[in-house]
Amino acid sequence: MTSTVFRLTTACTAALLSLGLVACGGSTATSPGTPATAPAGNAVATAPPADDATEGPTADDDADDTDDDSPSTAGAGAKVSANTASEDEITQALTAAGVSNPGRWAEEVVEYRPYPSDDLDLTKLRQNLAKYNPGEETTDKIVSALTP
Amino acid sequence: MIRSGGPATTGRGLVWRGLVALTAVGILATAFELYSVHHWNGVEQLVPWVALAVLAVATALVVAPGGTGAVAARVLALLVLAASVYGVVDHALVNFGSGPLDQRFAESWDALPLLTRVWYAVTTEVGPAPTLAPGVLGQTALLLVLATLGDARRPAGR
Repeated sequence: MTSTVFRLTTACTAALLSLGLVACGGSTATSPGTPATAPAGNAVATAPPADDATEGPTADDDADDTDDDSPSTAGAGAKVSANTASEDEITQALTAAGVSNPGRWAEEVVEYRPYPSDDLDLTKLRQNLAKYNPGEETTDKIVSALTP
Repeated sequence: MIRSGGPATTGRGLVWRGLVALTAVGILATAFELYSVHHWNGVEQLVPWVALAVLAVATALVVAPGGTGAVAARVLALLVLAASVYGVVDHALVNFGSGPLDQRFAESWDALPLLTRVWYAVTTEVGPAPTLAPGVLGQTALLLVLATLGDARRPAGR
């Protein structure tokens, strides 16, 4: 009987390890290798002047090439709260920021709520958006339109 | 192969206990994995949690004294199997819909052949959802169904 218990324990352990491997494989697969069609590095390497497209119609061109995620863009009126704004409001803000597929991204913003109120750079959102491999430029545009 | 005890403990009993134990391990491992990835953003992501609860109830029915819950357990396990299939399909669809969000395919996704896009979605080349992960639920549910069938059924008197 002892050997039976030993065998059962061994079998269960093996099953647990197998499940863990399968699950880990699935999870890590979210950052796959790049396909031959369009290497990710190329798109990322085009280091974007993100502000040109993110400032919206009322952006002031003279002062802020790099400070879109500062709260001082109130003049553009495009920043909305990632925590409390409705999906439609976020969609509008992302549209004004020049983000492609703003509706889809707004869904993702809402899905991963809540965001820490003291994280002005929306690190949690950035981490979740990275699963979709949007590229740094798009991520920056999205974050530039949002506050926690 | 030398075993102690009668056939009920060394044959059917061993298989039955093994299947139930693997079911329990599957439930716990899946719960751990879901917890690890914070799988609770929105109602849809709660589906596997509900399925796990249903599977736990089904397992309890199988091991409950008297062994009269086998049929109900099978029905519940089949519901979980259906939820698992739904999960696999849903993950693939989520990945498919994420194609245009991927910087590598933002401009070309719609121009790719359908089979290529499906392949990228199923293999998680695009999108965040591990396609086959929900299949673990179905596998676990099938283990429980097997524990209620044929020679693997709960031995009498247990």
